[in-house]
Amino acid sequence: MSEKYIIQIKNLTKIFGDGVEIKALDGVDLNIEQGEFLAIVGPSGSGKSTLLNQIGILDTPTSGTILLDGVDVTKMSDKQRSVTRNKQLGFIFQYHHLLPDFNALENVMMPMLINGVKSSKARETARKMLDEVGLEDRMKHRPNQLSGGQNQRVAIARALVNKPSIVIGDEPTGNLDTKASENIYELLRRLNHEYNQTFILVTHDERMAAKTDRIIRLVDGRIAEDSGRL
Amino acid sequence: MFELDVATRHIKSRRRQTLFSIIAVSLAVGIIIIFMSMMGGYTSILIDSTTENQAHITIMPKEGEDYIQLYHGLENHIYTLEGVEGVSSFFQGEAALQYKHNAEGVLLYGINPDDETLVVNRDKYMQAGEFASIENPGSRIVMGAKLAKNLELGMGDSVTAQIPGAEPTNFIVTGIFQTGTPVDETMAFVNIGRLQDLYGSGDVITGMGIRLSDPYAAEDLANGIDRETGYDAISWMEQNAEILTLLETSEGMVYFFYIIIFGISGFGVANVLIMIVMEKMGEIGMLMAMGASRRSIMMIFLLEAAILGMMGVVIGCILGYVASAAIASIVIPIPPEMYFGMDHMPVVIEFKNFISASVFALVINIIAGVFPARRASKMDPVEAIYSV
Repeated sequence: MSEKYIIQIKNLTKIFGDGVEIKALDGVDLNIEQGEFLAIVGPSGSGKSTLLNQIGILDTPTSGTILLDGVDVTKMSDKQRSVTRNKQLGFIFQYHHLLPDFNALENVMMPMLINGVKSSKARETARKMLDEVGLEDRMKHRPNQLSGGQNQRVAIARALVNKPSIVIGDEPTGNLDTKASENIYELLRRLNHEYNQTFILVTHDERMAAKTDRIIRLVDGRIAEDSGRL
Repeated sequence: MFELDVATRHIKSRRRQTLFSIIAVSLAVGIIIIFMSMMGGYTSILIDSTTENQAHITIMPKEGEDYIQLYHGLENHIYTLEGVEGVSSFFQGEAALQYKHNAEGVLLYGINPDDETLVVNRDKYMQAGEFASIENPGSRIVMGAKLAKNLELGMGDSVTAQIPGAEPTNFIVTGIFQTGTPVDETMAFVNIGRLQDLYGSGDVITGMGIRLSDPYAAEDLANGIDRETGYDAISWMEQNAEILTLLETSEGMVYFFYIIIFGISGFGVANVLIMIVMEKMGEIGMLMAMGASRRSIMMIFLLEAAILGMMGVVIGCILGYVASAAIASIVIPIPPEMYFGMDHMPVVIEFKNFISASVFALVINIIAGVFPARRASKMDPVEAIYSV
């Protein structure tokens, strides 16, 4: 049973604030299988990003457990969390967060360099990855020389370059126009099919959510609706 | 080592801000090197002129006695000690010198010029005549230039020496020396045998000067002679204790200034780094999301501090060297006899000063980097990422 799920979340609660407490997540239970392509939707303040940051082990829960690939990440040391983020997780945010002083190729190399991969090997892998997202002719460009859609493609290449088992995207197309959003969605979908990685996307774009395999609707920190894997 | 990559890119991408902090560090390093070179110059000129113009160790009679008897044996014994280059026995007495209507009180030194030359190079300072002219126990005298001027006499003139308990005796001036120190006004040399005769003391001396190959061995050797022979042996350090204490005190004061100057440059570096940390919050958060550890984030900013420091240190060293060399070439517009015979600014450019100024600056810079680096490494990745 546990081997089937790449992510197992049990009774996850996150409370913010010292004086006035805000329950961002209120006893969330969620199991996600390897290779799923799912969307988390809900009104703003419903806890979507909080849940995503918990799965991405960028944040720690108030209570409950998160098992990534069978390992409880809530009990990890700071160092272990860093290593897990580096090897098992890829992040795509609404704003691309590329390092502005590095070109596209160097940005994609960065997760590998952090992992201690030799720069020559990292360069080769990063080049293939940029090829994959259709930016083979923009490798030497810096983020300020690329369009929003292109930067987001670089960010996707960077998120995937270490072959993480889980890719999380927080409004990955939120800053893009309809056409560019469409293209990014197609790209993510294709990569999901190609590498069987698990994609979890937070969005409030219902049209995009509708194209995913599973929709989880959050309301007030609780799962109000889970379409199940379609 | 992606930390180094990120650090150098941060520095390269904000040239103007980093330039100013590098200038601050280089000025601090440069100024301190100039200070050190000048301090070193003054110290060495003071110490050199002291060790050049004085016996390194002076042996005085035992307590309660006026003379050292049977001194030849002591001379021979001193010569057997390690590092001794020369020994000169002297007979010293007070006298009044009179020439026409002028009279001056002086310290009259009876010496053997051959021996004396081994202890202090008097020849070097001869303005006229020869120091060796008092070799034989005749009535010849060598005196300081200022003394000769005060007495209004010159070479070949005959001066009358009034010695307590002796008949007035005439000496012919056969040499005039100028050292640029106060002894030019108070010191005169005659043959030791002649002076012993005038005092009627017999073959005794009032003291003995010793020159060593290493002046800094004087203290230990003086203590040894003291213990061994019972005579009062005084090193040049002991004789000039006041000057040396003054030098040490001023050195301490100067170090206090060094710390202040480096402190100010350190704040400059800290300021630039704090600005970079604030600007780069989103980037730091993303690096953490990509798996960079808190240690790596800390390392990035410490490296930046070190790189800024290094660049400042290199430029500062060049600046310090060029400025010190330029100062060394400045001609002093005062007559050389006024100031230890110097005609240029005393500057000693020493490698160790560059090393200590550089190490000091680097350490202060890295300390200045600790606060911003810790601040960056303690960031909450979620807050940092969503700050943009």
